[in-house]
Amino acid sequence: MIVGIKDVFKLVGVIIVVFCAIFVCTFFLNFYIDAKSLELVLNDEELLALHRAQMATAKFTCAISGGVLMLIALVMLVFYIKLYIDSHAKQLGILKAMGYTEREIALRFSVFGISVFFGCAAGFGCGFAIMPLIYSQMSNGLPEITIGFHPSVLVLFVILPTLIFSAFACVYAFFALRSPANELLRGKPEKLSKKPLKVSEKERGFLKEMCIKTLSSKKSLAFFVAFACFCFAAMIQMAVSMYKLSTKTMGIIIFAIGAVLAVTSILMAITSLVNGNSKNIAIMKAYGYSTKECALAVLRGYHFFALLGFAVGTVYQYVLLSVMINIVFKDVGAVPEYSFNVSVFFITLAVFIVFYEAVMLLYSFRINKISLKQVMEEN
Amino acid sequence: MICVKDLVKTYKGGAVKVLKGISLDICDGEFVVITGASGSGKSTLMNVLSGLEKPDSGSIVYDGDNISEMNEQQLTVFRRKKVGFIFQHYYLLSNLNVIQNVKMGADLTGNKDYNEIIEKVGLTAKCKNRISELSGGEQQRVSIARALAKKPNYLFLDEPTGALDESTGRNVLDYIVRLQRENGFTMILVTHNLNIAEMADTVIKMNSGEICVRYKNTTKKSAYEIGW
Ligand SMILES: Nc1ncnc2c1ncn2[C@@H]1O[C@H](COP(=O)(O)OP(=O)(O)OP(=O)(O)O)[C@@H](O)[C@H]1O
Ligand SMILES: [Mg+2]
Repeated sequence: MIVGIKDVFKLVGVIIVVFCAIFVCTFFLNFYIDAKSLELVLNDEELLALHRAQMATAKFTCAISGGVLMLIALVMLVFYIKLYIDSHAKQLGILKAMGYTEREIALRFSVFGISVFFGCAAGFGCGFAIMPLIYSQMSNGLPEITIGFHPSVLVLFVILPTLIFSAFACVYAFFALRSPANELLRGKPEKLSKKPLKVSEKERGFLKEMCIKTLSSKKSLAFFVAFACFCFAAMIQMAVSMYKLSTKTMGIIIFAIGAVLAVTSILMAITSLVNGNSKNIAIMKAYGYSTKECALAVLRGYHFFALLGFAVGTVYQYVLLSVMINIVFKDVGAVPEYSFNVSVFFITLAVFIVFYEAVMLLYSFRINKISLKQVMEEN
Repeated sequence: MICVKDLVKTYKGGAVKVLKGISLDICDGEFVVITGASGSGKSTLMNVLSGLEKPDSGSIVYDGDNISEMNEQQLTVFRRKKVGFIFQHYYLLSNLNVIQNVKMGADLTGNKDYNEIIEKVGLTAKCKNRISELSGGEQQRVSIARALAKKPNYLFLDEPTGALDESTGRNVLDYIVRLQRENGFTMILVTHNLNIAEMADTVIKMNSGEICVRYKNTTKKSAYEIGW
């Protein structure tokens, strides 16, 4: 009844992010290991500098993108578990009331490690599949490098993350489940704010209050919306620069990862937002609120975070690229020219707005389908 | 005026027949009580009459507008303008507080005097509490306040006092009836409490999807005169 195999694939978000992380890390780390020995055979100064730059890029990208993506996957996992506990609070509360211990229930959450395993394994496989292409692109006049299989990479990128994520899921669930059964059944008591209500607060309409309440009770979703838009802005603009500065393949890979991450996290965030509020939406619709009003009440609060994510992402990619070019290429004779690309920025922004509006439209259709009858039948 | 003719509603592709050809007329300002055994189709009739669900066949005409022919959008507008509903299972917004829930109804018709209604159903002291912090009877009263705050033309009440004790139940019923007299809205109330039927203009008894008895009361009693 609690957390079964069928829940493994509900973690699509985690699976995809882990996939991206392991995919990138696998071919960069493998390349790093395979190409490291070149240092000893190269005697041309220029080639040696190019080689060093490549090594630095591989290390840098592997550590930064792998680390950041894994961290995000971890945050997503926490978020999923929290969401799972919230949406199954009644059942979990009943189990606890009947005498099941937190430990027994929490152990079931280790199943989520399987999702991570799928993501890692797929990422590892695809990383190997694309390696010939990367190796040939990287060679650039350097001697050819043969692709080697390193068991340590497999352990590091498939076995280890699976174990760490499983353990983490259990520990987190254990602490999250420590609230008393009664609290799980009836919801956490709200802290009373002592502040007297401002006049504006008293006159706020229902839709506005609903919007604020949704936002404050689902703050983590604001993070994911911001993150999605951050990825969109950062990776797509970076991809264009990389396409020009580095290899075309790098540009395309970054573009694909950015697009996948942005789409996954925004769909995940808004799906759980709409699902978590489906009962409220159904009741509002029964009372005569239109689909548009329901959509605004639930989603409007997140628009600001979308824009914030986009802005931060734009700045981030500019700073990152400037720094990277100065560090990585400082030994190499010809430092490539890099400056902020204004036209790419505006094109990305335009595409972003279309993308965001399309997502909103998609969810209005979803909200349109929610009916009170559905909610009644669940009771 | 609501004219209902040959209303049929089935579930599971026709396998479960819940309403088997209901016809009735309800005048403006009338107070109708519907009683009947559990499972006889009372809640289903209310849902269909209020435009929450579509009937399989038959017509429901409100002042010349046949709502059984409306699409979802038109039905939403209809419910927004005309209907208030007190659900058997309350259906409140559980993460919001009492005022916010009442506001949900009040805002639809721009009503700003909802505080009086909250006071009249006895919830002023708890108006900042979230729904999950209320007792069953308190939740029922929020649901009543929300529907009244909407100032509907047609008020549907499905077991509105089922979770209330006698004294609270009488007070709330008395308040609803007084409001009805003042504002002249039409009221359709489902109850298992046969005493409440003595307060109505018309009483309808349902039996497995059909109306088996229908009569008018010659004298109406007040909420304090009926038995409980
Ligand atoms: N979605 C559905 N699918 C199948 N059967 C349904 C559905 N909804 C209601 N029914 C059936 O329709 C019948 C009438 O239900 P309804 O809720 O209208 O009864 P009721 O008269 O309000 O009963 P109560 O007094 O217990 O509230 C019941 O037998 C119920 O099982
Ligand atoms: Mg019923």
